[in-house]
Amino acid sequence: MTITTGAETHPVPTEHNPLASMPHDTHGGISNPVLGMLLFITSEVMFFGGLFAAYFSLRANSPQWPTINPETGEPFQLAILPFVGPATILLILSSVTCQLAVWGIRRDDRTAFIRAMAVTVVLGIVFLSMQLIDYSLLGSEGLTLSSGPYGTTYYTLTGFHGAHVFGGVIMLSVVLYRGMAGQFSGKHYDAVEAASLYWHFVDVVWILLFSLLYLLPGKTAAT
Amino acid sequence: MSSSPRSRTSQTAIFALAVGAAIIGLSLILVGLGVNLLDAGRMFVGGLFPPVAVTTQGAQIRDLYTIVFLIAVAIFIVVEGLIIWTVIRYRRKPGDDTLPPQTHGNNIAEFVWTIVPTILVIFMFVISWQTLNQVDKSSADSQTKIRAVAGQFQWTFDYLAPDGTTILYTEYIPLVSADGGMIVPAGRTVQLSLVSNDVIHAFYVPQFLFKRDVVPGRTNSFDFKVNDSDVGQTFRGQCAELCGSGHSIMLFEVKALSGPEFDAWLALKAKAAPSAPAPSGQPAPSGQPAPSGQPAPSGQPAPSGGAQGETLALTAHNIAYDKTSLTATAGAPFKIDFKNEDAGTPHNVAIHQGSATGQEVFKGEIFPGAAEKTYDVPALSAGAYAFVCTVHPNMTGTLTVQ
Amino acid sequence: MATTTLPRSASASRSTLYEWLTTTDHKKIGIMYLINSFFFFFFAGILALLVRSELAQPGLQFFTDQAYNELFSMHGTIMIFLFVIPMLAGFGNYVVPLQIGAPDMAFPRINALSLWMLPLGGILLLLGFVTGGTAAAGWTSYAPLSEDHALAATGTGQDLWIVALVLIGTSSILGAINFLVTIFKMRAPGMTLFRMPILVWTVLVTSVLVLMATPVITSALIMLFIDRNYGGSFFDPRVGGDAILYQNIFWFYSHPAVYVMVLPAMGMVSEILPVFSRKPLFGYKAFIFATAAIGALGFSVWAHHMFTTGAVFLPFFSIMTFLIAVPTGVKMFNWVFTMWRGQLMLKTPLLFAIGFLTMFLIGGINGAFSASVPVDFALHDTYWVVAHLHYVLFGGSVFGIMAGLYYWFPKMTGRMMNETIGKAQFVLMFIGFNLTFFPMHELGLAGMPRRIADYSSTAGWNQLNLLATIGGFTIAASMVLLLWNIFISLRSGTPAGDDPWEGNTLEWATSSPPPAYNFDRLPEIRSERPLFDARHGRTAEH
Repeated sequence: MTITTGAETHPVPTEHNPLASMPHDTHGGISNPVLGMLLFITSEVMFFGGLFAAYFSLRANSPQWPTINPETGEPFQLAILPFVGPATILLILSSVTCQLAVWGIRRDDRTAFIRAMAVTVVLGIVFLSMQLIDYSLLGSEGLTLSSGPYGTTYYTLTGFHGAHVFGGVIMLSVVLYRGMAGQFSGKHYDAVEAASLYWHFVDVVWILLFSLLYLLPGKTAAT
Repeated sequence: MSSSPRSRTSQTAIFALAVGAAIIGLSLILVGLGVNLLDAGRMFVGGLFPPVAVTTQGAQIRDLYTIVFLIAVAIFIVVEGLIIWTVIRYRRKPGDDTLPPQTHGNNIAEFVWTIVPTILVIFMFVISWQTLNQVDKSSADSQTKIRAVAGQFQWTFDYLAPDGTTILYTEYIPLVSADGGMIVPAGRTVQLSLVSNDVIHAFYVPQFLFKRDVVPGRTNSFDFKVNDSDVGQTFRGQCAELCGSGHSIMLFEVKALSGPEFDAWLALKAKAAPSAPAPSGQPAPSGQPAPSGQPAPSGQPAPSGGAQGETLALTAHNIAYDKTSLTATAGAPFKIDFKNEDAGTPHNVAIHQGSATGQEVFKGEIFPGAAEKTYDVPALSAGAYAFVCTVHPNMTGTLTVQ
Repeated sequence: MATTTLPRSASASRSTLYEWLTTTDHKKIGIMYLINSFFFFFFAGILALLVRSELAQPGLQFFTDQAYNELFSMHGTIMIFLFVIPMLAGFGNYVVPLQIGAPDMAFPRINALSLWMLPLGGILLLLGFVTGGTAAAGWTSYAPLSEDHALAATGTGQDLWIVALVLIGTSSILGAINFLVTIFKMRAPGMTLFRMPILVWTVLVTSVLVLMATPVITSALIMLFIDRNYGGSFFDPRVGGDAILYQNIFWFYSHPAVYVMVLPAMGMVSEILPVFSRKPLFGYKAFIFATAAIGALGFSVWAHHMFTTGAVFLPFFSIMTFLIAVPTGVKMFNWVFTMWRGQLMLKTPLLFAIGFLTMFLIGGINGAFSASVPVDFALHDTYWVVAHLHYVLFGGSVFGIMAGLYYWFPKMTGRMMNETIGKAQFVLMFIGFNLTFFPMHELGLAGMPRRIADYSSTAGWNQLNLLATIGGFTIAASMVLLLWNIFISLRSGTPAGDDPWEGNTLEWATSSPPPAYNFDRLPEIRSERPLFDARHGRTAEH
């Protein structure tokens, strides 16, 4: 099978899958998997956008934020220590190690890549565990999904973020496994780059979420 | 596929003749069937307009509609005409073997048909905005304040004092024909506020050319003023936002009285109205006898002395009675212990002769739940009756008196 | 070295069932998209016939109120999510790689995944019919009605609806990613962006809309699910939520969705008009900018669906809605002037394309009424809106889909569809369509609200409703003609050859149906009509 463009002819063996022998793309620049991942991340940004819009809207319409905990008569309180704050730092760190892994494989340093990627996966798992512990503490204090708009938005936002972290951990583990099996090199590492982009996205969302949920000052209803 | 050897001119002529013949033939058939073509034509064109408005605001909307309509018709004739003309004129004819001129575009044309429509739509926006400002204007000092309460599946109208909170009178019956409806004064600005007991509804009166959503958690309101010339008329209204299985029966009617007539009507109703629903524990007023004007139930006169006889039990829950049939003894008054378990929803029990559309022989007081009342029903002669809720006619059952 | 053109006998339809079920070939996947979509089209069409049967006369003849609410809710949901959107994605899937000279889509396995999520979502959606009731709160499922377990909306049917839509939405998003990467990265050498066929451009803009808007409705659906099943407080005012919030998030997607439903159909019409007029598309670049403008503006008008809520900044949404008429008008004029001074071959694809133009025009015009806020106060939630949406979605998208079907059926199957039956279908469908939906303008103006199972016999709506029902059954009759045509054409249609229409674009430069990886060789690409150029010996500068 040949492709004629009028200028030159590229003969291609007919026994092989013609698709595999053709260039994967005819317009260079970023690779297909990386472009695909960037587009996917765009759609995820819009998904979180919908959730954030709900959060902002409910918050703006509520004279009291955080809302009052019926069990205590006081506003709900979120604690940065001892779990969420350190978890945040670990997640940011994991983005650093993830990028180190990408740089490692780019310069064909498979050992550095594997080490950095393994640390990233572990940090991701630790983040999730700390988040879960914090959830159970909050639950025992009376904050649940059905604790009015405050509880619903808190758990929905952080819950879906956690789900994305979980998905990211799986993705990075697959990349780690494939790396250990020798499937990546300084010339072929599209999947690593794509996965790392996703992981950075997950981290950025958390920084935003953390700032909004934990750092933004609340408001009290005038008595 | 090659086209026939006939020339293009005669093909067009044949096509035109065929269309003409079809139109004439169709018209003859319709006339033969007794259709008055002139009336039908008038109905068709008239149907392209909303009803004549009965409010000041509605008239402004209708005028705006007319302008938009004329612009729309003009655009339709021009563009649709252009399409049809092009299709007929530029059909490929036999002998058309060379390509037509391969025009790629024309920037001036693009400019023109971008700018002109932009000006046109900006014009339409401006006149719409001006009308909106007039229609949506709320006057701070309207003396007549009514609150429409929408629930699944009925309308209730609270007539409010000028302070906007005290309820002077609550009308539970949505249709004017049943001695209810939303009564308003013509020639005065009425401020209507809208609240929902449950899901989103919409208050819509076609002759107002107006609707507004009734959203739980917020109070919408709008002003309207019925024309003096429309005094005495009744306008139909209906819920216009899907609200569940009873959406299509959420009807109501608005009736316009003259200013003085309205004041008298409201004063009478306010004086006669029971105070806010009695909390449980207090004696509830007994059921009212059938309204005046209707013949007394046939058969034996009620025995003297206090109400005697059996007590029937009936409950309303989720816009339904818990029983589909009741029996009572003929010739003796009896009681109905009626429990309304639908919070915020008005119900009652009314009894009709024969079927739910038969003559009404008893109407119990309408009250919102959750509450309980005992009705004293006068003696009825033996026969078949129906019991029905005045507010929700789909709630019905049979009463056998023997 | 021998060429590897497949012998004619090895057509796609001879492949085994297993091959079809496991394929990652965009052509087979495209055809399966079309088959799946047609199945749901007919299913939802039958629901419509049931709706119209009930409304033909006042009084509840066949259904309870609740059952009726299920019928129209499912009709709308299925038509939008399981028919129009995937049907157009299916055409895109089949045609776009061919038109850009690529061997397949960028991610063939994800393409297959996108496909198979559709029948799965469809089955979940329909399960409501056998598990005690489907969703019944309209395809829009406004809260709090859609959260109201007790009265009216529903049991698990509404939850099934939510899950099905999340699945189908995900399928859409994955498809959009696939289209965008394919279009940006896999065009044949010589095909710059401004030499792409117009259908590819419309698929590009549509994919951007799908990518950015669909995730937003996914978030709304998930929030609804949380409210329904986990005691959430997003939208239920009784527990501190906001009913209008649902509408805002919902319509932020659902307005761009209508452009998702019409832009590819416009693209198909824009392919057909030049071929059957024997001249190029008038104003190719203007057309592209107009399409991009519609896509962008489409994100700014969502609250025009909420003018009567009392919770919307009216002037902004009104002006933006009016403005979107401008690029739409530009396209309309470009189409007309493509035909102007051409040599029109009045075959079935062109007839349906003309049907699109004439009917979409009406839909655009009656939409302008609703853009005017005070007029919308009278028309919102009445049968006027039902008329508008069907003129743009049926008169527009469905006529466009029919045009595309008749145009590309020969390429997909190697056989022509029957012209006589095609013309008869067009005439019957055109008449039936107008008979059904034109009276609805008048019904809406006269005050008939939407979504009512029954109406008062004294309201004056009886005759128009009966007329609309007759029209509905006329449309059904035209569909019978369509099915018959497909059936006999598959069995014994005239062999089509590579290029039965004298097409302009690359899909006509290979066999019908194309071989596994589409092209043996490609002609030189120097304009948006490479095949036209090759046929007329031009390397025209463009």
